[in-house]
Amino acid sequence: MLGGLNTRVMLEYLPEIWQGFLATLFLSAASFVGAMVLGVLACALAIQPLRWLRAPAVVYVDAIRATPLLAQLYFLYFGLPRLGVVLPEMLIGIIALSLNSGAYMAEIIRSGILSIPRGQVEAGMSTGLSYLQRMRLIVLPQALRVTVSPLIGQAIVLIKDSSLLSLISVVELTRAGQRIAIDRFMPVEGLVATALGYLVLYYVLKSAAGAWQARNSLPGRG
Amino acid sequence: MIEFSGVNKWFGSLHVLRDISLTVARGEVVVVCGPSGSGKSTLIRCINGLEPFQSGRLLVDGTDLADRKALLRLRTEVGFVFQSFNLYPHKTALENVTLAPIHVRRLSRAQAEERGRALLEKVGLADKMDSYPHQLSGGQQQRVAIARSLCMQPKIMLFDEPTSALDPEMINEVLDVMVGLAREGMTMMVVTHEMGFARKVADRVIFMDRGAIVETAPPETFFTAPAHARTRDFLSKILHQ
Amino acid sequence: MVWFYLERIFGYWPVLLKGMGMTIGLSLLSLVIGVAIGFGFGIIRAGRNRWAARALGLYIDFFRATPFLVQVFIVFFILPQVGIELSAFAAGVVALSNMAACFIGEIVAAGLKAVPPGQSEAALASGMTRAQQMRLVVMPQAVRIITPSLVGQFVLLIKDSSVVSAIGLLDLTRSGWLIVQSVPNGLLVFGIVGVGYFIICYPLIHLSRRLERRGQAAFL
Ligand SMILES: Nc1ncnc2c1ncn2[C@@H]1O[C@H](COP(=O)(O)OP(=O)(O)OP(=O)(O)O)[C@@H](O)[C@H]1O
Ligand SMILES: [Mg+2]
Repeated sequence: MLGGLNTRVMLEYLPEIWQGFLATLFLSAASFVGAMVLGVLACALAIQPLRWLRAPAVVYVDAIRATPLLAQLYFLYFGLPRLGVVLPEMLIGIIALSLNSGAYMAEIIRSGILSIPRGQVEAGMSTGLSYLQRMRLIVLPQALRVTVSPLIGQAIVLIKDSSLLSLISVVELTRAGQRIAIDRFMPVEGLVATALGYLVLYYVLKSAAGAWQARNSLPGRG
Repeated sequence: MIEFSGVNKWFGSLHVLRDISLTVARGEVVVVCGPSGSGKSTLIRCINGLEPFQSGRLLVDGTDLADRKALLRLRTEVGFVFQSFNLYPHKTALENVTLAPIHVRRLSRAQAEERGRALLEKVGLADKMDSYPHQLSGGQQQRVAIARSLCMQPKIMLFDEPTSALDPEMINEVLDVMVGLAREGMTMMVVTHEMGFARKVADRVIFMDRGAIVETAPPETFFTAPAHARTRDFLSKILHQ
Repeated sequence: MVWFYLERIFGYWPVLLKGMGMTIGLSLLSLVIGVAIGFGFGIIRAGRNRWAARALGLYIDFFRATPFLVQVFIVFFILPQVGIELSAFAAGVVALSNMAACFIGEIVAAGLKAVPPGQSEAALASGMTRAQQMRLVVMPQAVRIITPSLVGQFVLLIKDSSVVSAIGLLDLTRSGWLIVQSVPNGLLVFGIVGVGYFIICYPLIHLSRRLERRGQAAFL
């Protein structure tokens, strides 16, 4: 029953849970960086004026957004060996997560840029700044400010999504919790330990987003 | 009809209504003016229970406002017109007007629409029945809002700066409707700085400052010979605008 | 080569079709239940009872904080321990609709709070009860505000339904997983699975974007 959690077993498995927690943290951090790179790239392609360069970015974003991460993960996991590419599961996982989150980040950054009033760009033009200068000096600094909260939100999504890597036998937090369930037939203890780990990460990021929002909603800064 | 006796209200530590005593008789038109933040809105919002107060007694049409159960019925007897119109954006003009009669008064749709059409015609919007609020000008929206209140056949109408959100050329179309209403004998309390309106139809003008009623007088005395220095000061400011 | 594999995969089309049917059925059922409960959650979250709002907030936070896979395991492995045995399908519906309700609840609450307070005041001033205010004035406006994000949420729900394959439910993803065991071409098999999801999700994504654009234009 739920009342009688076997905390002794949970403590016994603490080192493994901790390892899993660290693995989840590492996987998510690595994928976040990868996704950021992909997101900025895709966004840059999507907003520049050449049509034939926009197309691949659009296809990438839509294909990712319209299909589940798990199918994308299996696509790489079962598909890469066909191409003769044999990679460790962990790396496949990071690639899948980066590709997946990158598409969402592209959208976040894009809507951040589009939220900058047209007048700002025109002010830049009227003072003779070039396209790249306008982007670098006027648009991006302002866009970055409005994208921070949604990017933190995407980081939360990414951390949760990384649990799917347990299905291709990457040992991370979810998988570590399952070990208690499987070794000791104690699914409750395993799942409670797992959930606690994710809750910690969630609240840390959520309060970070809250703090950012509070700092930046001062008058004149929003 | 409306009877304040010793009403006090605080927002936290801010004393917004100080010992208000005031009686408004049936058919009387009372204009309330005063500087920003003096408590005019709060005063008339108390009358239909949009704001609770902490001490004193307020009777409206014989109902004690302390009786929260009677409040719902009382609100159907008291119309309220807001500075910012507050029309329902998802409803047409006619639907705005008939919504409460249908759901609160339980009129049939046909009855409510008949009444609603007549009122929209009366405020000069016969051709705008099926327009949505965002398709109407400010003056038109405010006239719909007045018709919306009238459709409940209220005994009292309250107006909170009904023309101050309007462009100057639209102010008169709204004031004309209000003048008509006053002449028909409606009991009205109007927060406004439109002194022309006050001169034309008010029975009394009230000047409020810092939560208290400073002066009450018929319009002719109020504008020509105000008793208090603060009233004179205020009048000289708004009349020179 | 490709044709050879394609032919073999299409030998499995009944499995693929069945999987697709399951994905659609599971998503639709969970959607209906999730929306119904989600609106209830939203009303409580935006409501005047602080304590109820806070308690519900904690519950919702739990399901927003943990991975859906973990939630599926909780429903499938923990509920039996308290005497509730569920089939994989029932467990999937419970987990999916519960999670959808939590996310939709927060969206609805935000929508309700975005309706200007003057609207409920106007309703109040005309003598409506709280319930009438909500039903006739506030909720219809909130629904307009949140429709694009609701549609976006439906897309997430359909995609998340793939996770239920982890407890053995034969949905679209699971059918791919089964086929790839005997037709060892992951790119092709999951490419086809992906097309299946794309057909369902893409029109919804498109709709959500259009609604969003239209929403920005209205009320101005
Ligand atoms: N909900 C509230 N909470 C706290 N203080 C409030 C609230 N509403 C009004 N006040 C304060 O109460 C005082 C009186 O406000 P009120 O709106 O009645 O003034 P007013 O005379 O109508 O001013 P205006 O001409 O600007 O409309 C003001 O100082 C205002 O800041
Ligand atoms: Mg006011």
